[in-house]
Amino acid sequence: MPFNPTRRHFLRSAIGAAGGCMSGLPLMGLGQDAAQKLAGVSVEDLPRLKGKLTLYLGRGEGGLYERVIDAVKKRNPDLRLSIRRGPTAALANTIVAEAKMGLVRADVFWAVDSGAIGLVAGTGKARKLPDTITSQVDERFRYDNWVPISGRIRTIPFHTGKLKAADVPKTLSEIADSDLTIGWAPAYGAFQSFVSAMRILRGDEATKKWLIATKKRAKSYAGELGAVMGVARGEVDIAFANHYYTLRLKAGDPDAKVDLAFTNNDAGCLLNASGAMTLRGGELAQNFVRYLLSREAQSFLASEAYEIPMLPSVTMPKGLPDLADIHPPKVDLAQLADLAPTLRLMRSTGVL
Amino acid sequence: MTRWLSRYPSYLLSAVIAVLALAPIAVLYYLAKGAEVYFSEETWRILKNTLLLTATTVVGSIVIGVPLAFLTAYCKLPLQRLWVIALATPLAMPSYLGAFTFYAAFGKGGELEKLIGLTLPRMEGLAGATVVMTLYSYPFVFLTTRAALRGLDGNIVNAARTLGLSLPGSLWRVVLPRVRNGIAAGSLLVALYTLSDFGTPAIMQLDTFTRAIFVEYNAFGLDRAALFSLQLIFLVVVVLVAEFCFRSVRENSGHCLSLQPSRAGVAFSLIPVAGIVALAIGLPLLIFGIWLKREGAGDFDQIIAWNSLKVSLIAAGVAVIVALPVAYAATIGKVGRFLERIVYLGYGVPGIVMGTALVYLGLRAEAEIYKASEENPEVTQFLEKWGLEEPFLYQTLALLVIAYVLRFLPLAVGTIRATLEKIDGNMVHAARTLGAGRSEVFLRVTMPLAMRGIVAGAALVFLETMRELPATLLLRPNEYETLTTEIWLVYEAGYFGRAAIPGLLLVLFSAIGLAIMLAGERRAEKLLLHQEES
Repeated sequence: MPFNPTRRHFLRSAIGAAGGCMSGLPLMGLGQDAAQKLAGVSVEDLPRLKGKLTLYLGRGEGGLYERVIDAVKKRNPDLRLSIRRGPTAALANTIVAEAKMGLVRADVFWAVDSGAIGLVAGTGKARKLPDTITSQVDERFRYDNWVPISGRIRTIPFHTGKLKAADVPKTLSEIADSDLTIGWAPAYGAFQSFVSAMRILRGDEATKKWLIATKKRAKSYAGELGAVMGVARGEVDIAFANHYYTLRLKAGDPDAKVDLAFTNNDAGCLLNASGAMTLRGGELAQNFVRYLLSREAQSFLASEAYEIPMLPSVTMPKGLPDLADIHPPKVDLAQLADLAPTLRLMRSTGVL
Repeated sequence: MTRWLSRYPSYLLSAVIAVLALAPIAVLYYLAKGAEVYFSEETWRILKNTLLLTATTVVGSIVIGVPLAFLTAYCKLPLQRLWVIALATPLAMPSYLGAFTFYAAFGKGGELEKLIGLTLPRMEGLAGATVVMTLYSYPFVFLTTRAALRGLDGNIVNAARTLGLSLPGSLWRVVLPRVRNGIAAGSLLVALYTLSDFGTPAIMQLDTFTRAIFVEYNAFGLDRAALFSLQLIFLVVVVLVAEFCFRSVRENSGHCLSLQPSRAGVAFSLIPVAGIVALAIGLPLLIFGIWLKREGAGDFDQIIAWNSLKVSLIAAGVAVIVALPVAYAATIGKVGRFLERIVYLGYGVPGIVMGTALVYLGLRAEAEIYKASEENPEVTQFLEKWGLEEPFLYQTLALLVIAYVLRFLPLAVGTIRATLEKIDGNMVHAARTLGAGRSEVFLRVTMPLAMRGIVAGAALVFLETMRELPATLLLRPNEYETLTTEIWLVYEAGYFGRAAIPGLLLVLFSAIGLAIMLAGERRAEKLLLHQEES
């Protein structure tokens, strides 16, 4: 296992924690000490950051992560932060290419997709994170060399002018067999992780067939926000995208003709996570990660970016249906790191 | 040997630069060896798309460019010069800006639908890419054809008409065959431009070589990206060779044909001109304007504009310095001309290909330095002494500038060589007779006389650098966003409105560049003729 020594299912834990939030009892079942710990650390109590730090920042979040980082910078004027921005998959590839040459250039990697995290962890360059960081998130979220920062779910945004939620097929196979037009962003890391999940769940051959069948009615977008906007404009009937794109679009334009649907128990509603890892930079890098897990950053990500917070004490984003009603597949996120066969499959079918 | 070198130090310098220009291709060859399959179904699909787009763009450019060239070359029109300049301006605008705004403007829910309530067909795929590429590259054909027409002796038409041919008949049967070379030369430039453009096919979602290289590079297929790069370079070389063959035919010049169209004729011919300029220049400006009004200046960071300016200035400066010996060598002998040809290859290497190769080179160099400094403390001390911390080359401004210089050097070499050739040799001889040494003559006579060419060359490199997208995307240092990468980021994220400011700034810089170049020449036409040569 490249990066998940505890071999726990992120999925199960994520639903547990998130579902708990929704029911208003976030700390249900935990002892008093644990409850306090999971209330999160405020930035007020975090050590000041001082020195030089290189952050590889997977983008695609339309500047929202930037605002978290800007806030961190503002609090820490002595921090000389150098940021490399790029699509998460591209940055992960860059880190791997650097590692192959024996170079490590990033102190911290904040990826929007755990497949990319796994890819980088596979180089063996990721450093172990101290317990004081990993133990901030629920026991079941703990990994040795990375920490999830926010959760996201794969969804099926649909055009409300053309379809009702009930019209949206409940499985990926039915979507492939339907006559709906589809928007997707195959170059986006989260989409590739989604295909990886399908490969793990249903095998290569079935995934290949699905890609070929779906491609006939699919329109490619550069990013998933673009795909969701395509749905809202009526260019396509449905799309494959992470949940928050739709929520953010609707936050800006409540009349947008798009809403969320979910498939049932297949890769279409995969639960994934953004995460951070340190590759260099010792304590400074670790302390930077602490800021990302601070109560304030987590609240911001949930309320402004509509991402699922990793601290159980932080309120869930608005607009997401009760997570207890969603049935994500059981996939070990660690396996999503195995990207190469996915890309080969996507290439051979002409999707990528 | 040493005597030969000391007599021709510029040969040595040119040789070094030529080798550097070839380095990216060698790197790609090395990288591509790892690719599993050399030709696959996908390769054919990409090849087909690339060739189709090139062919449709060339045809489109001829259809637009040639009639307009006839019109502006032979018809007396009011504000003649303005027409020519207006029709040449799309050349000054990066085509991906056009692609971006066309993509957002057309189609269901597009900006034009919101504006006029009429749903226009979507601009995407082969058709969309053809429209955009044609609108931004037809000026090549327009300019070369016009130059060829202006160079013809008008009397041949008069002779043909005396012999009973109608005016259109004589234009078709006598004039057109004689400007075939001009049209071909322009078409080949269009083909070259289309092959190497990255932004337009990417935004129009057409899988051409440039787009495939980018996708592969980002999806962990460095070897496949390199392989596609080599295949693309092969196509480019074919076009370069063809272009070279079509170049040199010249007719005896004489009085240019001059026709007096009627008022109605003038008005009628204005329609296509206005339509094309409105589409190519007006529409992008309109869309950016709409976005600016809707979203405001937002939180556009001025540093981005400054980054663009800074790196372009540095690239222009370095390119001119490097170009001087190459241009000089080209004027003094065959070896120099040969070396100059090699350097010209750089302009044929598409930005995405150059970027892919240099990323690897930079990474490799960085790794070697790192290893060396781990083993020898002296190396570390040396680096520290010179302020060369890590990133040494990889992800530094230096590597980005190297990419720009290798790519746009031919522009500087071309303009500088042209002015050097015009310098009266007697001036140099006179200076030598008066006792000046070789280097003194070069510094005190040749250089000042070549200054015009140097400035023009620098301006061209500056402009091209400012607009370069794919190599910048791959090579830019951390935190170093430029206007072009910002526009790309905005496009990828889907927040189109934020492209207004960087887009308008880019248009503005292009316009200023064009104006400076126009002002630098005594007559606008001279510049236009000049552009065709470079």
